[in-house]
Amino acid sequence: MSTGTQFYISTLCVYAGVDILAAWGLNLQFGTAGLLSFCYILFQAAGAYTAAVLSLGPQSGNGGFQHYIVGLNLPFPLPLLAAGVVGAAISIPIGLITLRRLRSDYQAIALLVVSIIATSVATNQAHLFNGAAGLALIPPPLANSLNLSAVNYQWFFAAFTFAVCGVVYVVYRRLTRAPLGRAMRAVRDNEHAAASLGKNVAGLRLLAFAIGGAMAGLSGGLLVEFIGAWAPSAWLYPETFVLLAVIIIGGTGNDLGAIVGVLLVPIAFAEATRYIPAIGRAGLVDALQWIAIGLLFLLFLWFRPQGIFPERKRKYLADGRPASLLISFRRRLGRSAADSELNREPAA
Amino acid sequence: MSLLGPSIGFGLVTASILALAAVGFTIQFGVTNVLNLAYGEVMGAAGFIALLVNKAGVSIWICLVIGAMFGAASSYALNRAILVPYIRRGTRLFGMVIVTVAVGLVIENTILAIGGPTFFSYKLPHQSTFHVGSLIFTGFQVAIIGLAVVCMIVVHGVLRYTKLGIAMRATSAENSLARSCGIRTERIIDIAWLISGTMCGLAGVTLFINTATFTSATANEFLVVIVAAAVLGGVGHAYGAMLGALVLGLTTEISAAYIDPAYKNVTAFVILVIVLLVRPQGILAEIATQRELAT
Amino acid sequence: MSAVTTVEIATKTPVLEVRDLAREFGGVHAVDGATFEVPPGRITGLIGPNGAGKSTVVGLISGMVKPSSGQIMFAGRDIAGLAPYRVARLGITRTFQLSSEFGKLTVLENLLVAAPGQRGESFVGALLGPRGWREQEQALVGEARALLRRFEMSDKEEEYAGNLSGGQKRLVEIMRGLIAKPKLLLLDEPLAGVNPRLGERILGYLEELRDEGLTMLMVEHDLVAVGRVCDPVAVMAQGKVLAQGPLEELRANAEVRNAYLIG
Repeated sequence: MSTGTQFYISTLCVYAGVDILAAWGLNLQFGTAGLLSFCYILFQAAGAYTAAVLSLGPQSGNGGFQHYIVGLNLPFPLPLLAAGVVGAAISIPIGLITLRRLRSDYQAIALLVVSIIATSVATNQAHLFNGAAGLALIPPPLANSLNLSAVNYQWFFAAFTFAVCGVVYVVYRRLTRAPLGRAMRAVRDNEHAAASLGKNVAGLRLLAFAIGGAMAGLSGGLLVEFIGAWAPSAWLYPETFVLLAVIIIGGTGNDLGAIVGVLLVPIAFAEATRYIPAIGRAGLVDALQWIAIGLLFLLFLWFRPQGIFPERKRKYLADGRPASLLISFRRRLGRSAADSELNREPAA
Repeated sequence: MSLLGPSIGFGLVTASILALAAVGFTIQFGVTNVLNLAYGEVMGAAGFIALLVNKAGVSIWICLVIGAMFGAASSYALNRAILVPYIRRGTRLFGMVIVTVAVGLVIENTILAIGGPTFFSYKLPHQSTFHVGSLIFTGFQVAIIGLAVVCMIVVHGVLRYTKLGIAMRATSAENSLARSCGIRTERIIDIAWLISGTMCGLAGVTLFINTATFTSATANEFLVVIVAAAVLGGVGHAYGAMLGALVLGLTTEISAAYIDPAYKNVTAFVILVIVLLVRPQGILAEIATQRELAT
Repeated sequence: MSAVTTVEIATKTPVLEVRDLAREFGGVHAVDGATFEVPPGRITGLIGPNGAGKSTVVGLISGMVKPSSGQIMFAGRDIAGLAPYRVARLGITRTFQLSSEFGKLTVLENLLVAAPGQRGESFVGALLGPRGWREQEQALVGEARALLRRFEMSDKEEEYAGNLSGGQKRLVEIMRGLIAKPKLLLLDEPLAGVNPRLGERILGYLEELRDEGLTMLMVEHDLVAVGRVCDPVAVMAQGKVLAQGPLEELRANAEVRNAYLIG
């Protein structure tokens, strides 16, 4: 494989991993807890900015052309961990304000507005994160200690991204498979009934919001440490809708669906733009992509609102243990075998 | 104090455009109960249709009418051809919000794809300026304010004094009850979308007249301010939207003059969030309901 | 001989006492000084013409509506104004007039989620992994399945609750209310819109539960049903409780008869 191809594929792997992580977080907020999280990209941005300003040195460095706060030059993995923490931390005040008394479409608008306000602040208060120009020259983690060639570093980062995804998935899955996940889904389906059964609706929603925010923040941290730069143009409010498309198409509430959604939407679109030459003027292909996303939304919400992989039905075995995917699959096979037994003609 | 005059002037013009837009928006919400997040893009589409006609050499005033007609037709189509089928299919509130967002994305990006990411402007005849006290207006701005006032009076007249208006208010307040009273709610909803669509179109064209240059994204950026005005006055209540438009039009312009022009819309957004938290039913909602009970 | 009778003789402390409860909505006095009590081990009926305020009272007791004034005494404290989930945790669960099942959860999950005190429901509990909550969950599944058998809905265990018929949803709600082992179960028009045969079944279940000692408060329009299972009965009209006692006494009460004719 040529170096160029290796660069390209490893980059795609990192983007896929980051998007999958972000999609799972949104799946928790939207699919499991039923929150129309229209400000989701803000959490990723918060994580990205956090990782950036913690791993960058003081702003006077590099010729002092960037202005930003903090600048502690912290070693790996601290900036990344902090990214996750900050993602959760900012979700809490936002959640406290918006998630309690509003009906879902008002909530959606309020969250969208928060995202827009944040973009405005980041752009105009240039002393925070260098304004519209954004931050650059963010040091890649472990670059100096590992001493890899450029290509091999790319592969290392891709592997690292998948490893992070794996670790986060274990934790995320624990939470959703536990009664906690079920309680969140109950709140999603009927919050008044859930409250009448003793569930703390606001608390559960806030928890889903915060955990999703942490996952988004983590994904942002990874992304910024890979790209090395970050600016408001990377997290305008429509980006949330790309992630929303990912899980609606892939299947809300389904983790495999999120993976498929990532492969179908952002990755496929990135690939497609490679083959479609830059036709017409600048920005045409972008506009066409957004039209495609809009149409995909409409098509899926009409023909298959549950997505390609719908939320898995939770079943239980005779002894009360939850049936895992494998067991329920074998049951289904067993059942169809039994059916064919029954349907066989009785011996004459 | 020299800033106050002009900013009040700007505020009145913005409030006028906002009033046209917000009243249209709130009527749509009132009869359908879904926040139409594609509203801004429909405004933009109307503005761009007007641009096409304008480029062909037609006077801007006729373009305004054409834009209004386009707004009416496309809003009616949006409801009948897209929103109603999805609702009938069982899409919940959740999904409907995304449906409207998706439609908006398609509209805005179609305009972007056709027109390109550049700035546009109408070909406007030279206008004289008018002085009212310390306020300065161009002819267009006076026309816009006049148009808004006329429209508000018409809307008020229709809602209060015609059978159609009463039927619209009934359908807004309690759709199933209205239907069981014999009101043909489907037709009422269609008419409501035609009326609100007209205002949407007018708002779009006047917005583009007022901002010297505009892009495919200009109208949609205005959407949150429109929603803020509608929510401030109580979503679904036309008078509330008028009040909200006045308040927001003035506060955004005045704050832009005194605080920071970059934050002009942010003021509106912050107000929106505060209203949603403190009093999501809006300022006039409670008062309006009581009045309706009394009469 | 059920344990309830002993309790009845020993202490007649009502499980719930509503005192002078009031709630107004923009000038309309939905509840206007309602006072009544719910004795233990019986099904107390709450009847009255439309608009009398019965559903609002249920809303006030369960915490969904905040009172303008008055007290609701339960388990030795005034619970008026508490958030619904706190009221539930104190031991009051309810069913709803309009179906309120968890549509995208299976019937079994609808019951499981209703159980209180699950270790796997807290963030820390879930984080620590299944080892901490698996046993409790298995026991719960057993309990839930027993309930399903009792209410003859075992075959619907894996069905999404949203796909059930109206009557079946009603049963799921009752089972859900029961699994929480409440001290008081509020039933908001449990027979509304239910076919007569299923209605009979439901009444039968309610009588069984009552005989086992469960205290219930039932809002209902069907006076035959009320006459069969409820004792005592409270009558409301225009936001006030007119009288409370056995149904036959109430029938003889002129004020009550007038209220039904007017209201």
